[in-house]
Amino acid sequence: MKKNTLIAVLVPVVAGIVLSACTSLSQPVERFSRATNYGDSKAVETLTNEFGSTDLQMIAETMVGSLLEDPLLTDRPVMTLGSVKNKTSEYIDTKSIMNSIQTQLVKSRKVKFARSADEMDQGVAELERQNQSGLYKEKSKAKVGNMTAAQYTLEGEITSIVKQTAKAKDVFYKMTLTVYSVEEGTVEWQEEKEIRKTSKK
Amino acid sequence: MNLNKRSLVVFLASSLLALSVGVEAKTADPAASEGIANKLILRGGLKGLQVIDLRALRKNDVLVVQAEIQNTNKKDLRLYYRFRWVDEDGMQVGSGEVWKPLMFLGKQNQFIKGIAGSPKAVDFEIEMSAEGR
Repeated sequence: MKKNTLIAVLVPVVAGIVLSACTSLSQPVERFSRATNYGDSKAVETLTNEFGSTDLQMIAETMVGSLLEDPLLTDRPVMTLGSVKNKTSEYIDTKSIMNSIQTQLVKSRKVKFARSADEMDQGVAELERQNQSGLYKEKSKAKVGNMTAAQYTLEGEITSIVKQTAKAKDVFYKMTLTVYSVEEGTVEWQEEKEIRKTSKK
Repeated sequence: MNLNKRSLVVFLASSLLALSVGVEAKTADPAASEGIANKLILRGGLKGLQVIDLRALRKNDVLVVQAEIQNTNKKDLRLYYRFRWVDEDGMQVGSGEVWKPLMFLGKQNQFIKGIAGSPKAVDFEIEMSAEGR
């Protein structure tokens, strides 16, 4: 290539790159361009198309938002966490999803949560320690038999549909969360969150 | 610079390419009105996405916000957004929402909805950022 031609190509291209660098902002997406870094825990994570932090956070936000605007919570009911079935082909910590939902609901002050079946052992052990050890003042002891029972249970399931070719993979997640009335056994509220993720191999 | 004909053609082509990379084409205003613009926090331009309607109401004592967004561009775009909620003292409510991605096909129109995580929230802003697909 002649010198003039080279200059003619290089000058505008370099100018364009400089202009581009001046005008474009990075997106709130974790790019994993450095070996180790503290990232934004709220940024969109797209390292793989397996279930990730963004999916967990979006599911929790959607479920909590839908529940908060429902009249079911008008009188600050007592709820408890039930089970979440993982019907996907991958390992997903469903307890972590439910914990995020519970955290946001508790912080909203629109719901009270009673200990779930999983958490009951520790509560019973503390009650027994206070009442049977002889260490505590009578009036300061928590009385046995005063726990508040939950009116509603939160239960759910997460499913996935995976399709892939040699070059691409498509994953569709669906999380369904249901509030059951403990006494009546009826469904009082239900919400779904769908997430589609595609990637090239 | 003494350029021959071939060099001139290459120069012009390269200039066009560089301009298309470096300078954003003129796009629609991100907000359809000043009232809407006051509720948006934009990270750069929205590349043709425009918030054409914004409404808020209290439902079951929590603030619910819905925005209608139009892709005025023929190209597909990806929007990243999240709501920011503040209490009556202007303090942030909650620990911040996760950024949510949303795909817009060319000329597509979509709603986004946000629900405050607490009755303490009395005002909001929508933080937005956009990129090509």
